[in-house]
Amino acid sequence: MEQSLLTLIFGVMAALLIGLSIVVVTSRSVFRGAIALTAALGVVAGLFVLLGADFVAASQLLIYVGGIMIIMLFVVMLSQRPRDHMDRQTNEQWVWGALFSLAVTCALIVQFRAVYRGIFATLPPAPTTASVGRLLLGDMVIPFEAVSLVLLAALVGAVYFGLSKKERGR
Amino acid sequence: MILSLHHFLMLSAIIFGIGIYGALTRRNILGVLMSIELMFNAANINLVAFNHFLYPERVWGQGIVIFVITLAAAEAVVGLSLVLSIYRTIKSVYTEKMNILHG
Repeated sequence: MEQSLLTLIFGVMAALLIGLSIVVVTSRSVFRGAIALTAALGVVAGLFVLLGADFVAASQLLIYVGGIMIIMLFVVMLSQRPRDHMDRQTNEQWVWGALFSLAVTCALIVQFRAVYRGIFATLPPAPTTASVGRLLLGDMVIPFEAVSLVLLAALVGAVYFGLSKKERGR
Repeated sequence: MILSLHHFLMLSAIIFGIGIYGALTRRNILGVLMSIELMFNAANINLVAFNHFLYPERVWGQGIVIFVITLAAAEAVVGLSLVLSIYRTIKSVYTEKMNILHG
């Protein structure tokens, strides 16, 4: 009973995620695409919960939905002009792009079906926050410090590129 | 039907394909950035699913997902400030207009 309920939840989430992703890549209005992407990232957080990754789901909601998407919505609002809605939003190579992405998807699905069929969860989901913290400050401490350097570089780069030309010269 | 690993893998393959389509065909540079975020998320679903189904007693997959989310945040911030800077210079967000370096 519980398993079929989980499967039902997964099916609903998968349908929602695929639909929202198609809206992201095809909608004429970029603003609508950004809103759909926000919802899709929320659904991905739900999938993480389904997979027993509670800490990752929380950081997905906080960082992606709360941080990145807000910045993205701001930039969309700052850089659009009213007549952009009327323009075509795909370039001339969309047929080849669609064929290529279809080929990649089919190859991935065939390969995944061949290799990873019928693997079921052995342990029930359990809280993972403590073990993720121990991993990040134990075995993964060197990448952890490297990422802090990357974040500093990104911060400086974002401030520099965000300045206007006049302010940059000073 | 019981949930198994390849359900999640197939879902993420479909999302990844949609992201590739968007990154190849959107004219708007912001649309390209959003498609790249979709592809990041497909990879994250894969990592967490492998962690849950194959190595449930360890959390390396989830640790790597934290790094991917962090680097995606850094990438998005730098990319978006570049987009704003480009928009200020050439007054357009369409990729075919961004050919100043073309000579």
